[in-house]
Amino acid sequence: MRRTQVQATINGERVEFLCEPRQSLLEVLREELNLTGAKEGCNNGNCGACSVLLNGRVVNSCCVLGVELEGADLTTIEGIGQAGSLHPLQQTFLEEAALQCGICTPGFIVSAKALLDKEPHPDEHRVRWWLANNLCRCTGYDKIVRAVLKAADQMEEVKPV
Amino acid sequence: MTTVDRPSYKVIGTRPIRPDGVEKVTGQAQYGADIRPPGLVYGRIVRSPHAHARILSIDTSEAEAMPGVLAVVTSRDLPTAADKVEELGETAVNLRELSENILAHDKALYHGHAVAAVAATSSQIAAEAVTRVKVTYEVLPPVLDVRDAMRPDAPLLNENRHTKAMDGSLSEKPSNIASVVQFKGGDVEAAFAAADHVLEREYSTSMVHQGYIEPHNSTANWNSDGTLTIWTSTQGSFVVRAQVAQVLKLPVSRVRVIPMEIGGGFGGKIPIYLDPVAALLSKKSGRPVQITMNRTEVFQASGPTSGTHIKVKAGIKDGKLTAVQATLSYEAGAYPGSPVGAGCMCMISPYNVENFDLTGYDVVVNKPKTSAYRAPGAPAASFAIESLLDELVKRTGSDPLEFRLSNSSRENTTMVTGVPFPRIGAEETVRAALDSPHYKSPMEGPNRGRGVASGFWFNAGLQSSVAVSVNPDGTVNLIQGSIDIGGTRASLSMQLAETLGIGYDDIRATVVDTDSVGHNDVTGGSRTTFASGLAVHEAGLDIQRQMVQRASALLNVPEDNLEYVGAEVRSKSDPSKRISFTEIASKSGQTGGPIVGKASLSARGVGAAFGTHIADVEVDPGTGKVTVLRYTAVQDVGTAIHPAYVEGQIHGGVAQGVGWAINEEYYYDEQGHLLNSSFLDYRMPTTLDLPMIETVLVEVPNPGHPYGVRGVGEVPIVPPLAAIANAVADATGHRFTVLPLSPRRIVEELYGL
Amino acid sequence: MVVIIIPALMRPYFDGANRLEVEASTLDAVLRALDDRSPGFYERLVEDGRVRPELAIAVNGEVYQMALHERLAPGTQLTIVPAIGGG
Repeated sequence: MRRTQVQATINGERVEFLCEPRQSLLEVLREELNLTGAKEGCNNGNCGACSVLLNGRVVNSCCVLGVELEGADLTTIEGIGQAGSLHPLQQTFLEEAALQCGICTPGFIVSAKALLDKEPHPDEHRVRWWLANNLCRCTGYDKIVRAVLKAADQMEEVKPV
Repeated sequence: MTTVDRPSYKVIGTRPIRPDGVEKVTGQAQYGADIRPPGLVYGRIVRSPHAHARILSIDTSEAEAMPGVLAVVTSRDLPTAADKVEELGETAVNLRELSENILAHDKALYHGHAVAAVAATSSQIAAEAVTRVKVTYEVLPPVLDVRDAMRPDAPLLNENRHTKAMDGSLSEKPSNIASVVQFKGGDVEAAFAAADHVLEREYSTSMVHQGYIEPHNSTANWNSDGTLTIWTSTQGSFVVRAQVAQVLKLPVSRVRVIPMEIGGGFGGKIPIYLDPVAALLSKKSGRPVQITMNRTEVFQASGPTSGTHIKVKAGIKDGKLTAVQATLSYEAGAYPGSPVGAGCMCMISPYNVENFDLTGYDVVVNKPKTSAYRAPGAPAASFAIESLLDELVKRTGSDPLEFRLSNSSRENTTMVTGVPFPRIGAEETVRAALDSPHYKSPMEGPNRGRGVASGFWFNAGLQSSVAVSVNPDGTVNLIQGSIDIGGTRASLSMQLAETLGIGYDDIRATVVDTDSVGHNDVTGGSRTTFASGLAVHEAGLDIQRQMVQRASALLNVPEDNLEYVGAEVRSKSDPSKRISFTEIASKSGQTGGPIVGKASLSARGVGAAFGTHIADVEVDPGTGKVTVLRYTAVQDVGTAIHPAYVEGQIHGGVAQGVGWAINEEYYYDEQGHLLNSSFLDYRMPTTLDLPMIETVLVEVPNPGHPYGVRGVGEVPIVPPLAAIANAVADATGHRFTVLPLSPRRIVEELYGL
Repeated sequence: MVVIIIPALMRPYFDGANRLEVEASTLDAVLRALDDRSPGFYERLVEDGRVRPELAIAVNGEVYQMALHERLAPGTQLTIVPAIGGG
């Protein structure tokens, strides 16, 4: 099948790539761009393990086509923080033991970041409502919800007055 | 936290960050589907659309002719497997059944049974090629429910299968009942006749799935030297290696299994499905081949746990549970091997019951072959007995927890197997539940109710090997072969740090491949922190001994006058003569070479686990929706090595149990097609379906482990089914005996719809 | 002396006895001693050099799958139970 050229900004870098029109964004990220932080859990938008930020909005990358990235700004888990400069969410996920197997963790962090970018002071119910699209089978969500609330508190503390 | 006789520890009981954490929160951790060897191509499985069918022919020519398709395999490419059982670590496997489950030979036994496989240069071409493999079937009538399958006139999955009794004898007539087990003690009939209250009920649960978020995957490369490399997501790399070697008839030493990070297992990632197929496709295509299941395939064709039907009768006299009689029938799926034996052995373990008669039937049906799922067999059995006791105890007017306390198993209580319990914490969990703020709080409001339940799981020991390498700068590498699913790199490092007196951060733990350390059984049976912990402790003692030898030369003090204390070796008679761990490490090259501690063992001294849970629910009388308002899980955890990870294990078990109670079920049509093979229709709990889960860690140290470790991972899934069902009965005044308590079932039963 | 608890379904082989005492130091030797009392019993439990896969032996209450040739301390209590798999 003929491949299409796509230009986009991914994690702050201008990127050009070729993909088949039938390839999902998740397939493009994982198979063409070697960005494997977004995971396939269901491939039909039910688990959130492939969550990415497309122009600032959380989307399931399995439900978006790669060619739809043309001209877009994309943030994946790889663009949120690295060892040594972790995002507060990444730090609180570690401190609060909010991951066990870790397969859903990138999706949760991406989703939670979108929430905190939009609403810096969510309460527990709001966090639960926002993250209901992300499935985790190991943790029962207790520690995940606590980690997100703690990150929100910490981000508030470091903000300039 | 309630603690019984706990020594003071430096590292154990703290909450450090796991060594694999940063990689996982940054998306850098490599799971099975993330690996990209050069030249990688993609495999895909052709699956049976029928639940029961004879395979008449398979025509692969059209698929093979497609551009981009590199190989097609069927069961003809598998070596002929003997009808023989092979020892494969934790469990033994019938090789022919294993081989038939990997690629169906003459019969497809469930919807989604693998029939053939293709490899192509892209996953899209592979998906298309699957549709071009032409399989001709003769469709046969399926049998889907355990009770239907047990009827004498039921269609047979295998005309040559006879019921095997515990003594190995076979039934005369062929049957879908693969085996029967029985446990008997005392005289149930006399006890029922003498009882004040006797009640009998029947309970059913549906087949449910472990629901790990990462689908099964395997990447294989048949190397040019004839060796085979497999990267996979598994709970046991050595067990994958053993099974692949057996199925493909290769020497074990020529198969190297590299365990990738694993995205959840809960028992479901112990069997092999894709690995031999990826290997055969690689051999044919000359390229590394990766196969990943999609979610539908995971539901259809991995290893969920049994649907069950349980009939149980119990009697109480003077407040004592005096007799239990039960018949447990468990669906094994397409091949024998349900956990019905464990169900029988767990059912009444929380209680001291003198008279019992428990019979279990392992029954094949046209559904996927069941695999282990967290405390396999126990949750359904617990649902039945704990629901029955709840109803029965209400008739006596006692408090359900006080009843459990006065009937609790204790040290030396005899299990149904006839063996006495060692030191256990069953009654301590009930007492802690009685004392909990949750149980002491009032239960108020319309349509609300509270339920309690207790549960038991054996836990496992099995084989572990570790190596510990001391570096010249005093840091340490811990080489483990046990798979780390939920934090064992941390829990093992902590035990090693405690043994050596060094800091947690001085240790780096790595899970290595099957060429790099001795055999390790699966991470299952809640065994790794316990059994690999024992090995780590022994390896630590091995290092202590070597350190004393080296110190003897360095300090010029005889070995018998030296002792290892904290992170140093010092003279017993003159404590000013001392040398630190780091200094001995730095001089290891001058005192005899590298210091490496090792231990390989078959772990003994397993400590059993008990839990007691309290659930508050509200049932919407209009929609039938059950909302969990509050949940408390009390558990004897032995010693909590990393309390946050112990809490996490309990949270996860509770969440799965709540899902099992309220929403999860396999839903088949009459032809045996699985109708809800997606996360949308197989509804697992989301963030909105659960409250915060309160945990009470009771620490009754296991005398069989130097740090008192008991396995903690499995027992928390046992009580929730009944705790929720009992709370729903309390809220509605109606006793539900069939799970799940989905809105539809609640409304239908409450209003007789 | 080792004590072996006989499960209900196997008691007919031993005149209904639910526990027997045997002089032996490995499980294999215990099962061979039982075979002397009830000829053919060993073959019912052991297949291809291991305890039948559907079964396991509990040694002092702890379930082992593979302990046919491990040393048993005097006074050990053995039970024949169905095999268990952990999750």
